Amino acid sequence: MVDWMEDRTGIVTQLEHFLYEPVPKRGAWLYTLGSATLFLIVLQFLTGILLLFYYVPTTDHAWNSVYYIMNEAYFGQLIRGIHYWSANFLLAVIGLHMARTFFSGSYKAPREWNWITGVILLLLVIGLAFTGYLLRWDQDGFWASVVGIKIGSYSPFIGGYVANFLLGGDVAGPATLARFFAIHVWLLPAALAPFIGIHLYLLRRHGEFGNQFEYTDRLAKLHEQQRLEEYARYELDGEEDGAEEDGRNGEDRENGRYSDRE
Amino acid sequence: MVELQKDRITRGDFLSFGFIGAVMGAILTIPPAAFVLSPVIKTNVLGQSDVSQDWQMVGPIDDVPDGEPIVIEVDFPIDQIYGNNEVQEQFPDTQKSNEEFAVRSAIWLSWQDGQRPEELQGINGSLTQEQRQLAEENLNILSNICAHLGCPVRWVIVEGEGEFLCPCHGGIYDINGGYIGGPPPRGMFRYPVREVREDGNLYIRHEFDDEDGIPGLTTTRPHVV
Repeated sequence: MVDWMEDRTGIVTQLEHFLYEPVPKRGAWLYTLGSATLFLIVLQFLTGILLLFYYVPTTDHAWNSVYYIMNEAYFGQLIRGIHYWSANFLLAVIGLHMARTFFSGSYKAPREWNWITGVILLLLVIGLAFTGYLLRWDQDGFWASVVGIKIGSYSPFIGGYVANFLLGGDVAGPATLARFFAIHVWLLPAALAPFIGIHLYLLRRHGEFGNQFEYTDRLAKLHEQQRLEEYARYELDGEEDGAEEDGRNGEDRENGRYSDRE
Repeated sequence: MVELQKDRITRGDFLSFGFIGAVMGAILTIPPAAFVLSPVIKTNVLGQSDVSQDWQMVGPIDDVPDGEPIVIEVDFPIDQIYGNNEVQEQFPDTQKSNEEFAVRSAIWLSWQDGQRPEELQGINGSLTQEQRQLAEENLNILSNICAHLGCPVRWVIVEGEGEFLCPCHGGIYDINGGYIGGPPPRGMFRYPVREVREDGNLYIRHEFDDEDGIPGLTTTRPHVV
C-alpha cells in the first residue's frame, strides 16, 4: 500500500523530507516555529468552519449568536476559545518565526521568495485578525475596528476611499459587518491558502538547510554513513559471533570435514 | 537561462493577444470590482450618504446646564444594505417594515464657554425668534467621536477644570470642542446644521464641519459615525 501510494504520488518521500528535515544543530527547536504556525493556521481553519455553524453575520444577531456559542452550544467555549487564543498565538509565533528567519539569515539567496511570500502571509493574517475582531459586534471589537478604519482614513490621497470601502458606506452599520464577514471568512482565507502552498513548495525546493542538490547530497551521504555504520556493526557482531562459532562449530566442522576425508 | 518563449511573437500576435486580453480582462475585472466598490462609488464619487438627511430631535435646550456639557444619544436612521423602501411603504404594518436601522450617535451639548446667555435664562413655553436665533448661535453641538481615531470622548474634571478627554490616546478638547492637546489634528466635529424650534427643542441634521487635514491631501472627516 505504501509502495502503491509512493509510486503514484511520491507522498512517502515528501513526508519523509518534511518529517526528517535536517536542521542546524544549534537552536534546532527554533526551526519548528514554521510548523507551529502552520498548525495554528490549520486550527483556525477548522475551528472557524465550526463557528460558522452558529454565527449569524447581521448587526441584530451577531452578538447573540456569539453568546449562544459561548453559553448554549456544547463545547462552544472550547471551539471559540481555541479560535480566539490560536489567533493571538498565531501572530506571536509568526513574529518568532520571522525573527528566527532573520537572525539565521534564512532569507538570503536563493530563499528571497520564501521571505516575500512569508511577508504576504503575515499581512493576510493581520487582515484576518483585524476583520475577525469586528465580527463579535461588541463594544470592544466595534471601537477597535472604528480606530482601525480611522487609521486607514489617514492614508494620503485615498484615505476617504479606504475608509468608505471598509465601512461599505459612510457610517459603520450592517454593511460594515457584512463586508468584514466576507473578507474574514472567504476572501482572506482563500488568499492565504495558495500562499501557504507556495511557501511550503519553496521550502521543499530549497530545504531548511541547503538547496535541493545539497540536500540530496547530504541525504545520500547520510544514508551512506548509516549503511557503513550498519555494516560495521554487522561485521563487529559477525566477528564476535564468528569468534565463538569458530571456537566451537568451526572446529567441529573442520573435524567433521577432516573426519569426512578420513 | 530559462527560455520562456520559443516562437517569436509577431506584431499581429501581439496586437491580437493584446486586444483580446484587454477585452477579456475588462469583462472579468470590471463587474466584480464595481460590485465590491459600489459603496465607495456611491459615497465618495457621487456624494450620497447612507444616513437620513431628515431633521432629528436632540432634546430641549433648557436641559443644557451652565458650566458643563450633557450628553444625549440621537439615532440617525440609516439605509445601508437592509430594507427596500418600496416594499416597506407597500406593507407598512409588517414587522420587517417597522424595523428601523440607525446609527446611534452621542452628542455633547453645552453653551458657548459654558455660559448660558441672559436672555435664555428660565425659558418656558414658546421661544421668540430672537431667543431661538441666540440659542442656535450659542450652543455647542459636538459629536462625541474623537477627531483623532474615532474613540468616544468624555467630560472629565481635572484640578477643577473640565475638559473632553479621549480614552484611547489622550486627545484633549475644551468645552467648545476646541483642540487643547494630544494627537488629534483638529477640534471636535460639530453639527453645523441646527434648528431650535418654538417648543424649545433642538433639531439637527447629520452633517459635520469638514476641515482640510494635510493641505491638498486629506480632509478630516468623521468617517465612521
